[in-house]
Amino acid sequence: MYDFSLLPEETVRAMIVALVLFLVSFLSFVIISLYTLINTSIYSKEHKEKLKLICDVAYFHERGKRNNQEDSIYISPLDMIEENGFVAACSDGMGGLLNGEVVSKFVTDSLFEHYPYKFNAQAENAKIISDISDKVYEEYHLSAGATLVMVHIFDDYMNFYSLGDSNIILIRNNRATILNQKQNYITLMIKKYAEGGIDTIDAYRDSRARGLIDFVGNHKCKVQMTSKPMRLIENDIIIVSSDGVTDSMPLNRIVSHIHADQNATGIARTIKYGVRASKNAKQDNYSAVVIKMNRSFV
Amino acid sequence: MIEYYTFKHRGDALDYTDEIFLRLVPDLTVAIFYGSKISSAPKSQALLFSEILNSEEGSKSIDYLASVFEECLDEGSEYLILKVLKNGVECFRRGEVYAKIIKDGQILLLPNGFFGMSPDDRIVCATAKFYKNISDEGILADALVADSCSEWMNMMIRRISDQTQLRCGNLSVVTLKRNN
Repeated sequence: MYDFSLLPEETVRAMIVALVLFLVSFLSFVIISLYTLINTSIYSKEHKEKLKLICDVAYFHERGKRNNQEDSIYISPLDMIEENGFVAACSDGMGGLLNGEVVSKFVTDSLFEHYPYKFNAQAENAKIISDISDKVYEEYHLSAGATLVMVHIFDDYMNFYSLGDSNIILIRNNRATILNQKQNYITLMIKKYAEGGIDTIDAYRDSRARGLIDFVGNHKCKVQMTSKPMRLIENDIIIVSSDGVTDSMPLNRIVSHIHADQNATGIARTIKYGVRASKNAKQDNYSAVVIKMNRSFV
Repeated sequence: MIEYYTFKHRGDALDYTDEIFLRLVPDLTVAIFYGSKISSAPKSQALLFSEILNSEEGSKSIDYLASVFEECLDEGSEYLILKVLKNGVECFRRGEVYAKIIKDGQILLLPNGFFGMSPDDRIVCATAKFYKNISDEGILADALVADSCSEWMNMMIRRISDQTQLRCGNLSVVTLKRNN
């Protein structure tokens, strides 16, 4: 033990002052921290619904077993999200036709040229896509084509556009749904069978029925689009992908592989390795843009 | 003006035991009788349901109509009645027959009672067998894409077909939309 009585009186006084100052500043720090914490938590609770959703984005773009990369993706500038929203698209050159690589790249390059897009001008945006399709038609006259899926997210809402059979997948509450409809002959056959009151098993047996009835490169194509935007919620995961992803990794397997606490990069990585792990000998090109919706407190 | 489209399919069941009824006056009334779960004489219960709906009592308030159904129908009867009024819909359901509304980019289950409806809103009424094979997000996406009630229906049927090839028992569905 120190015998403080041996110290000069001034030193002891200085030590006491220093101690008091330290205690005061420590207490102030604790009080301010607690106050901020409580206020932030109350504010977050009160304004949770009003706070915007922000997009956490990642992508992968893989060749699979093909010689060429016929998928092409487009991601709009992330620093323009506040003003113009976020746009992501994936175009897949049609197998069996020539120049798939060139057409899909032309599609995404054209989307880039037309950026920014007005969020509430769905018909106008669909017309842009339809014009791109007409240009492809004029160049190739149905000897080349591509599919296209595109999402446009602004705050808590999303519009989507689709031509062909690529996928826009929404994972919500651990359940995955492909939002866009596949524009192939199966759709027409199902309509006929259903109207006739019979089951539709034959529609899936004929592999030719998977042929597309609409795509980029078709003349006067009808772009599938949302006429009103869809409301997004926190933790929604949107995957804009080519069919090379879902051919090797069905929706239920995607859902079972990803975790709620993963960010977009983690989800993209999981899906990419999931496709690779399926060891598909004829693995098509597989590409996807993964978007996870987070609540912003900024 | 109200646009609507109905879809009935026997599926892999021996008979079509559900029934869809429409009454156009004084207000459009849509009713779905879910007979698949009734073990004895579901068709006679459906006929009884139809008789009541088309009688004078069918034009009275939905609460009154529900009380008549309660009194006359078999205890296990399940049904939904949806009356389209000037600025909304009035709904009454008993059992596993539901109506869902597409509003402001979201899908919501219609509660019993009155619910306001604007021109862009859409409604789907169906039995539990329909909802079992389609997600809410699928219904919502199709509603936002489709131009008409028939197109919306075809899209939803495609989704159910992808899951079941329409071998999933009776399907009874009505889609509704208010046009300007």
